[in-house]
Amino acid sequence: MIEAAIGFGAVLVLVLMRMPLAFAMGLVGMIGYANETSFRGALSMVSRLIIDTSQDYGLSVVPLFILMGLFVNKGGIARELYQVSYAFLGHMRGGLAMATILACGGFAAICGSSLATAATMSKVAMPQMRKYGYEDSLSTASIAAGGTLGILIPPSVILVIYGLLTETSIGKLFMAGIIPGILGIVFYIFAVKYTVTRNPKAGPAGERTNWVGRLGALRGVWAVLILFFLVIGGLYGALDVWPIHLTFSPTEAAGMGAAGAFLIALFRGNLNLKAVLEVLKETSITTASLFSVLIGAWIFSNFVNVAGLTEGLRDLITSYDLPAWAVMAIILGIYIMLGMIFESLSMLLLTVPIFFPLVIGLGFDPVWFGVVVVVVTEISLITPPVGLNVFILKNVVGDVSTSTIFKGVTPFWIADIFRLALLVSIPALSLFLPSQM
Amino acid sequence: MRSALNLVRQLSQLPMLLASVVLFLLMAMTFTDVIMRSAFNAPLEAATELTRMFMAIVVFLVMPIISGSQEHIVVDLADPLFTNKWAIRIRDTLVNLACGAMLIWPARQVVVLAERARDYGDVTEYLAIPQFYIGWFIAILTFVSAFVLLARGLITLFAPQLLEEQND
Repeated sequence: MIEAAIGFGAVLVLVLMRMPLAFAMGLVGMIGYANETSFRGALSMVSRLIIDTSQDYGLSVVPLFILMGLFVNKGGIARELYQVSYAFLGHMRGGLAMATILACGGFAAICGSSLATAATMSKVAMPQMRKYGYEDSLSTASIAAGGTLGILIPPSVILVIYGLLTETSIGKLFMAGIIPGILGIVFYIFAVKYTVTRNPKAGPAGERTNWVGRLGALRGVWAVLILFFLVIGGLYGALDVWPIHLTFSPTEAAGMGAAGAFLIALFRGNLNLKAVLEVLKETSITTASLFSVLIGAWIFSNFVNVAGLTEGLRDLITSYDLPAWAVMAIILGIYIMLGMIFESLSMLLLTVPIFFPLVIGLGFDPVWFGVVVVVVTEISLITPPVGLNVFILKNVVGDVSTSTIFKGVTPFWIADIFRLALLVSIPALSLFLPSQM
Repeated sequence: MRSALNLVRQLSQLPMLLASVVLFLLMAMTFTDVIMRSAFNAPLEAATELTRMFMAIVVFLVMPIISGSQEHIVVDLADPLFTNKWAIRIRDTLVNLACGAMLIWPARQVVVLAERARDYGDVTEYLAIPQFYIGWFIAILTFVSAFVLLARGLITLFAPQLLEEQND
């Protein structure tokens, strides 16, 4: 137990010295494991992990889903999603900010990354909101908050990583993310409503679009809607009907999604060889760096296991006679605090090996915990002082101060805390859809 | 020295391109497999093992590149604390040397495992490709990554000006 605590401290020191996360976790895990067993044992554990992880069939979902997101993005879908959302919501007060949230949710349904969602949407939505005289605090905050939906609404790279780390079904995790993701959209829209009720000048109404215009706007996104239903429906088993009988494993769903997105972008004339190579290169680099951190995290979690951290923590809980919900409250509190400083992926990789066995031992559902962890991670993306999505907005938009964005984000942050409380107290919100698979 | 580094950078385009092509093949193969299976009931039987192999190829071809260009995932929280140029230089040297050095032992062990697979005559299920090929491939590129990291550590210490144009 004490060795694991020292190990965790050592990893923190190393990453703060700017050692890559993968190497810090791998190094500490390897030395710690050798200390618990033998150097030979540690070496063969590490080399086995290197060989097996890089050839793990299940891990191929990672590059394929990343590929899907990038290809769809090249297809220029973000703008069209925004136009559709605007056509339906733009005439309301704060309507453009609401449209931004909705478009972020739609974009999240094809892209698994929050940072990419925020970065893409800020290019599309920000100029529009400026044009209609929206206050920067509301416009930037709606994008930063809406962007966080990227990692909850499937496909989600973070959920995939959680699933791989904990051997939880990725298909079920994806299904479990849908209702909480929709709740996120609804809650954020209320946050916009609250903001414009308090300060009507923050978000004046735009022009109303008639139904002809609305249906016309829908034409731009039908291909992507079909792609989403194909991928998620195939994964869910909803397409296993005569005469097509499509059911996908996560890898197949990702492959279909990536190829579909590629074809859509190709037919729209948005792809040339250079663009394709760029997308493939970016995906390869992201994949290799994700695989490195996964291998590192596994080495570290093997060490944590042999060091008996889980048993130690369990004894601690028993000795204080803590009920399960109190332990969960403490864990969530720790996540929210870590979220103030850590970036989402590092936070997940550092904490899941420690908390997951404990949480499962207490009788919580692994799929539910995955969704809760991702929602907490989403919150961390807009929590000061280090909210990554806020920084992205600052980078893309430029002439806005981070404190303005953080101020605007506050109602969204509170909406998120409400949503978290709701998801924690009613597990069925996450677990109903996966239970139907 | 500068021209040697430039040459390395140029050469690194080749594995990058190869990884991109393999990744595209992976996507195309998965797509074809699903279509063939659901429409014609004729799945590509070798798809699973090719997927595994393609993954290893993509990941390890790119590994030396992201090691050399520092594209591993890092936590930059403490960066504001490092303001002294020398402190940064020593920190980066130590980190790169440590990362490079720690890869050597696992890489050697991967060679041992690959040789064991060769002795046993392990081959893949459908295409009967010897397992040790991929083992050696992983080992060699892990060695290359180790070398790249060590070299980067030394260059950071002795000739940091050589790394400056990396960022453009």
